[in-house]
Amino acid sequence: MKEKTPGEKNQRPSALDGKPLSRREFISRVAVGGGAFVLLSGCSRWVLPGPDDKARERIYEYIAVDYTKCTGCRTCEVVCSAFNNPVSLDGQMMPGPGNPALSNIYVHSFNPDVSAPAVCARCADTPCVNVCPVDPDPVTGRRALFRNEKYGTIANDPDRCISCGSCADACRAESVGILAPHPETGRPMRMCTLCDGDPQCVSACPYNALSLIRITSDQPYYRMSPEEVAKELSKRWYDLSA
Amino acid sequence: MGNTQASGYHKILLDINLTTGEIKRTQIPQKDIEHFIGGRGLGMKILWDRLQKPGIDALSPENPLMFMPGPFSGFPIPSASRTVVVTKSPCTSPETSPYPQASTVSYSNMGGFLGPEIRFAGYDGIVISGKAATPSYIVIEDDRVEIRDAKAFWGMKTDAFDKILIKELNNQRFQTCYIGPAGENLVSYACILHTTARAAGRGVGAVMGSKNLKAIAVKGTGMPNVADLEAFNKSLSDVRSVFKGLTGGLLTGFWRKAGTAAALQMLSDDGLMAVKNYREGTFAEIDKINAKVAREKAWVRDFACYCCCLACKKSGAIKDGQYKTIVHDGPEYETGTMFGANLMISDFNGLMKSIYDGDDLGMDIISAGNVMGFLMEAREKGYVTQSDLDGIDLSWGNVDAVLSMLDKISRRDGIGDLAANGVKATSKQVGRDSEKFAIHVKGLELAAHNIHANPPRALCYATSNRGACHLSGDNIAHQNFVAAVDSLGLCLFASDHNKWMMPGISSKKMADLLTSITGVEYDRDKFMEAGERVFNLEKMFNLREGFTRADDWLPDRFFAEPFTMGPEKGAKLDRKEFTEMMDKFYTEREWDPKTTRPADEKLEQLGLGFTI
Repeated sequence: MKEKTPGEKNQRPSALDGKPLSRREFISRVAVGGGAFVLLSGCSRWVLPGPDDKARERIYEYIAVDYTKCTGCRTCEVVCSAFNNPVSLDGQMMPGPGNPALSNIYVHSFNPDVSAPAVCARCADTPCVNVCPVDPDPVTGRRALFRNEKYGTIANDPDRCISCGSCADACRAESVGILAPHPETGRPMRMCTLCDGDPQCVSACPYNALSLIRITSDQPYYRMSPEEVAKELSKRWYDLSA
Repeated sequence: MGNTQASGYHKILLDINLTTGEIKRTQIPQKDIEHFIGGRGLGMKILWDRLQKPGIDALSPENPLMFMPGPFSGFPIPSASRTVVVTKSPCTSPETSPYPQASTVSYSNMGGFLGPEIRFAGYDGIVISGKAATPSYIVIEDDRVEIRDAKAFWGMKTDAFDKILIKELNNQRFQTCYIGPAGENLVSYACILHTTARAAGRGVGAVMGSKNLKAIAVKGTGMPNVADLEAFNKSLSDVRSVFKGLTGGLLTGFWRKAGTAAALQMLSDDGLMAVKNYREGTFAEIDKINAKVAREKAWVRDFACYCCCLACKKSGAIKDGQYKTIVHDGPEYETGTMFGANLMISDFNGLMKSIYDGDDLGMDIISAGNVMGFLMEAREKGYVTQSDLDGIDLSWGNVDAVLSMLDKISRRDGIGDLAANGVKATSKQVGRDSEKFAIHVKGLELAAHNIHANPPRALCYATSNRGACHLSGDNIAHQNFVAAVDSLGLCLFASDHNKWMMPGISSKKMADLLTSITGVEYDRDKFMEAGERVFNLEKMFNLREGFTRADDWLPDRFFAEPFTMGPEKGAKLDRKEFTEMMDKFYTEREWDPKTTRPADEKLEQLGLGFTI
């Protein structure tokens, strides 16, 4: 299986493009709370007005799933894989054939019928980065796993990664559980890249079940594992024993 | 990972002998790939090669059971989700033949995620032969293939087993298929199920049961390479656009709204439905079990197969009454008609429960509904008594009787042991003139499409190579087209076969995709010719088994008993017109109308000289 490196790909204009933030700035804005959102997103606070103080703590950009629309078709997986694993042909880069095993979004299907796509939540508190045992680089401050400032995505430096698997464990314990060690190299994979600001899964979903939205930390299902999501949806949709 | 040859195929069959436990990787000849494409076509070629003489018992270890994806499988082509299960049929038999165990080919086409996963694991097909000494299941994870003990699972129904198996495998990404009690007990029309509701029917489950094989689980990480990625990406976006925009919206909207269940009301209104053991074409109480009712009473969500934009699968739950809490798909056209209208059942929750039980036991609901319809009619006419039926009150519309019968059939208990052999065998036992209302062709039960008012569909049933099949095509061009589509791993519903009603992927677009994937130049004609080749090879297989024109026959009912109600009241087939239509069909196919044998020149021209 090929491995992804945190290289920048073809640049395209995006709604998310803006002044890049340094890690320090980023963290300070997290600390500031609601103010950070205004700085990050310009004027779109009206999209999801926080109902209370807690909701205003921090706003995230997040690939949210509308589970009532998702049909489990896995189109998101193949377009993610095609975009993030491009192939060079005669010097020209083009989308790859779309092997779902290389996708960063993973659809989990359950019995009774529930399909729960799992995707990196790009957690503000980055449990995966926090546990990375590699010493921060004196210049950049980055560990082997770090937050890429441009879109706030999580990236791994394969040259410094020691394949310990701590990040995947932390993701499983504290968040979605999407990060997984590569079967051969042991280095983490499936960190969402946001496809340079234009997430392919969002635009290609035939059922409009995915959207890149700004949410508050109390968004339902946020950071839940697909198993937890399925358990809850299954109860809501099918459990009529009560 | 993957292979270096940019051909669109791995060119490898996973060859498992359950008697010896031997696991091999067999090369597929390039010529077979070009000629038979994959799926149904390639499966037929392998069946022909492996069964070198006629009359081999379908339930014997020699009969290969094949899981065949196509060259589209594993690529993100919309609706390229199908797996074709190919084997020799345990359901069919000729009128006369020198071989007591003679039967036709069988192929059954199942949606979901299994076919793509087989290709991710690195194979273009799985061929299972032999018979395991004890109940077993197969786990395939890329190159690692294991035959494991399934004794603890033997006897389990499919819904519970599906949940337990995935726990046992400890990875949600495995794709699995399995049989239920019906397959284990060799009910001739047992199914192989995938995701508890997607099924390969028409008897293939009995073949799996005869091999002591409970389940197959597959997971893979690879993918076949593409010959021309640039052309493929272009064709792919072209095909994706078929499902977008105004016309695409029409197509996707139709399937998403109600799936095939939309046809429940439509075909009843048109007098084209199987009602009361095919006696009528219109069900007076259809409005109690149609898609509108299902949406109101049961359906919760829509589900799709791999990369499909149509989402015709529905999931639902019974929300009130004595079967409350059962979670299942609810009626599709076939299941809703065969367990609903054909048995005069209009109790929606009872219908849901019957469908759940049919799937849970691992039974082909088409055949089970057909056999029970026959027994209900035989009882009404006094050909069998309630005591012949082990005291079960098999009267029209009785849900409890249907549930009891399903249980008995799956266990081959009492009357269930007879009914488990299919409607042809049951009618032979019941005797008198009951064959007039035993609704099968070559021993395979007709599906939910009635034919009094539909002569093209009558031809489809009579000439289909697996026995009565409603999907084999209503004319020569359609038959060839369907055989070609079934060989790609693509879903027929996503094709433009119904283009007067709905848009879809055209054969031209399919040929373009196939060219870009394989690097072999296909145009529309070459693609359609492959379909013709497959259809003729199947025919040659059946002829070798001793099938004759007398077997391209339809039950008397369709000629003798006109509808008494509905928009097609009075409709019946005309025997003379039907015979003329059949003569014309054979002639145009370049088959001898007397023997139905394809002309040698035709076979040579199609590259089927080896069958002569």
